Amino acid sequence: MTTTTQATRPVISDLRAGQMIRVIAGREISVKLHDKAFIGSTIFLLVVIVIVTALPILLGSRTPQLSVAVVGAGAEQVVARAAELGAEAQDEDAAAASTPFGLGGLPGADITPRDAGSRADAVALLAETAVDAAVIGDSPADLVVVGKDSVSDDLTTLLAAASAQQQVSAAADDAGLSAAQVQALLTPTRPQTELLEAGPTGPIPPQLLVFVFAFLFYMSVLTFGMSIAQSVVEEKQSRVVELLVAAVPVRWLLAGKVLGNTALAVGQIVLLIGVGLAGASLAGQGEMITQVLGASGWFVLFFLLGFVMLACLWAVAGSLASRVEELQSTTVVMQVFVMIPFFAAIFATDPGPVQTFLSYFPLTAPLLMPQRVVLGNADAWEPALAAVIVAATAIVFVLLGSRLYRGSVLHTSAKLKVGQAWRARR
Amino acid sequence: MADALALGGVTRRFGDRTALDAVTFEVRPGRLTGFVGANGAGKTTAMRIIMGVLAADAGSVELGGRPLDLATRRRFGYMPEERGLYPKMKIADQLVYLGRIRGLDARTAAARAVALLESLELADRANEQLTTLSLGNQQRVQVAAALIHDPVLLILDEPFSGLDPLAVDRMAAQLRERAEDGVPVLFSSHQLDLVERLCDDVVIIGDGRVLAAGSADRLRLERAGRRFRVVVGGAEPAAVASAAAAVPGVRAAAVDGGGPDGNGIVVDLDAGADDQALLAAAQGIGPVREFRPVLPTLAEIFREAVR
Repeated sequence: MTTTTQATRPVISDLRAGQMIRVIAGREISVKLHDKAFIGSTIFLLVVIVIVTALPILLGSRTPQLSVAVVGAGAEQVVARAAELGAEAQDEDAAAASTPFGLGGLPGADITPRDAGSRADAVALLAETAVDAAVIGDSPADLVVVGKDSVSDDLTTLLAAASAQQQVSAAADDAGLSAAQVQALLTPTRPQTELLEAGPTGPIPPQLLVFVFAFLFYMSVLTFGMSIAQSVVEEKQSRVVELLVAAVPVRWLLAGKVLGNTALAVGQIVLLIGVGLAGASLAGQGEMITQVLGASGWFVLFFLLGFVMLACLWAVAGSLASRVEELQSTTVVMQVFVMIPFFAAIFATDPGPVQTFLSYFPLTAPLLMPQRVVLGNADAWEPALAAVIVAATAIVFVLLGSRLYRGSVLHTSAKLKVGQAWRARR
Repeated sequence: MADALALGGVTRRFGDRTALDAVTFEVRPGRLTGFVGANGAGKTTAMRIIMGVLAADAGSVELGGRPLDLATRRRFGYMPEERGLYPKMKIADQLVYLGRIRGLDARTAAARAVALLESLELADRANEQLTTLSLGNQQRVQVAAALIHDPVLLILDEPFSGLDPLAVDRMAAQLRERAEDGVPVLFSSHQLDLVERLCDDVVIIGDGRVLAAGSADRLRLERAGRRFRVVVGGAEPAAVASAAAAVPGVRAAAVDGGGPDGNGIVVDLDAGADDQALLAAAQGIGPVREFRPVLPTLAEIFREAVR
C-alpha cells in the first residue's frame, strides 16, 4: 500500500528561487488583472490620456467658415485680400513667407465674399443670418464692419491686416516707390533670434510634461504601493501566510510581491505613455512624439528605480498591520514618501541649489532629475549619478524592508511598531 | 515505510512565558496521533514549530532522524488553526497556486486540484470565490489545500472544529485513509471522545509540558491498574465503599450507577497500593461478585493528567 502511493506521489521540485518568485509574482499580477477596480482606473486613465492628446487637435484643426456681405469697391478689395490672407495662414510655410509687415500669427479662415447691393440689403442678409458679417465702404481706408450681435475676432484681425496692406500699398504708389521698395515695406525681413543657453522646445511646454509625468508617477506608486501593502495584510489576516512560509523562504515571498507589482506598475505607465503617443501620432503631431519619447526614457528608468526603492517599505507597511483596516495608519509614512516628491516636482521648477539638491536626494530624485533633464538644466552625467544614488538607496531599503517584513509578517495578532518588527523573530 | 516525526526537548518562550517546555513526542507513520490539551497549553505553538512558522528556542524536530529544513517541510500538509486561504480567490486557482508554491508543476497542480475537488464533491464550485462557500465547505477546501501535493506528513490544527456530525465523519475517514497510506498524521482537538474513537496515539499537553504520550491503548492500560470496580453480593454499596475507604492505599471509593452485576463501587488506588488488600477487605463483607480493573477513558486520563 505504502509503496504504491509513494510510486504515484507527484514530483515536488527542488526549491528554486527564480521559479518560486515567478509563481508568486504571477499570482500578484493575475489577481490585479482580475480586479475590477484596477481595470476601471486604468481605463479611466487611458480615457483621460486620449482626451488630453485629442482635445488640442480637435480644437486647433477647426478652420472657421465665414461668409461676408460686401458693399462698395473698397470693401470688395479688402475682403478679397483678407480671404487670401486667411487661406495662406492655413498653410504654415506660405504664411511665414507672406506675413504682412513681418508680423506672424494671422488666423486661418475660409472667407467667402457675397455681393450685396446696398447697406440695407447687407443688413437684411445679416438679420436672416445668411452672412456672418458685412463690410461696407468705397475706400480701403474708410470701411465699416457690421455684425449682428458680434463679429468674429479672426475676421476682424484679417480685415485689419488686409486693409492696412491696401492702404500702405496705395500710399507707396502715390509716393512713387518701386515694386521692390513696396515689397520691402509690406514684408520686411524679421530679425533672427539667437539663444545663448537654448532650452528644449516643443509643442508641449516642458513644465506641463513634467507635471504629467509627476502625476503619473504619483498615481502609480500610490496605487501599486497600496496594492503591495494590501496583498501582504490580506495574507496575514487570512493566515495564508502560515501556509506560504512553510513552503518558501519569506524573502522570496517579498521578492515575488515586489516583482509582480513592479511589472504591473511599469506596464501601466508604458501603456499610458504608449497610448498617448499613438494618439499623437494619429493626430500627426510628430514633433510632440519626439519630445515625449526623448523625455520618457529617463522618467521610466527613474520610475522603475524609485518604485523598487519604496516597494519593500510598502510591504513592511502592510505587514505591520494585522487587519486591512489598520493599513490607513501603517501606510501614512509611505503616503508622505510619495507625496513629497510629487509636490517637490511641481514647486521646484526653477533651477537653483534647492532643485539640484532635490534631484540627488533619493526620495525626490526619481522625479526631480528627469525634470531637470526635460527642463534642460542638467549636464549629461547628472542623471546617471542620481540613478546610481537611487539604486544604492533601493538596495538599502530592500534589505531593511526584508528584515522588517520577516519580523512582522507572522505576528498576526496585533498591529506592530517598527521597533518590534526589527527585534522580532519567528 | 515513511519516516516518523520526532520532537526532542522543544522549548519556546514568548517573553517571560514559557509556551513549550522540553516537549518530546513522536508522530509515527501509519498512525493517527491526537494532540490534546487545554486552551493555551501549547498545541498550536508546537505545530507551528513543526511547520517552521515559529522557531524553537531549544530542542530538535526531526523526520527519520534528520533535522527538518524547508525542502522537507514543503512536502508536509498543514492546516493552520485559523485556517489560511485567500477569501477573494477562486477555489481551483488557489489550490493550484498552493500546489505550485509547494513545488508542483502547473499541469500536475491543476490536475490534482480537479481530482481533489471532485473527491470532496466541490467540483461544481471550482470557479467560485472561497467566501461564497459555507463554513463546512470552506473547511473541505482547506483540507484539499493541505493535500494538494500529496504530503508525506499531515499537521492539522483543530480540523474538526465547526464541523457538523456528518462532516466530522467524512473528515475522520479522510484522515484515517491518509494514515493507512503510511502518512504520519498529527491533529489537535478538544473533542476527547473523537480523539478516543479515532486515534492510535495520543499526546496530552498541559502548560507547555507533555503530560502523557504514546499509544492510546497503552496509556489506558498503564492507568488501569489503579482503578477497580467491586461488587459484593448482598451488601449495600455504601457500606462496601466505607469499608474500602479504610483500606490503606485507597485514594477514593464511590458508589457507581450500577452495572450488569448490580450496584457496585469504583475504587481508586494510589500508585503502588496493594489491590489484594482491597480484595480481602471486600471478601470480609460478603461474596465478591465482581473485582476487575477499569480502563479509564481518554477524558478521564486527560482530566487526571491536567489536574
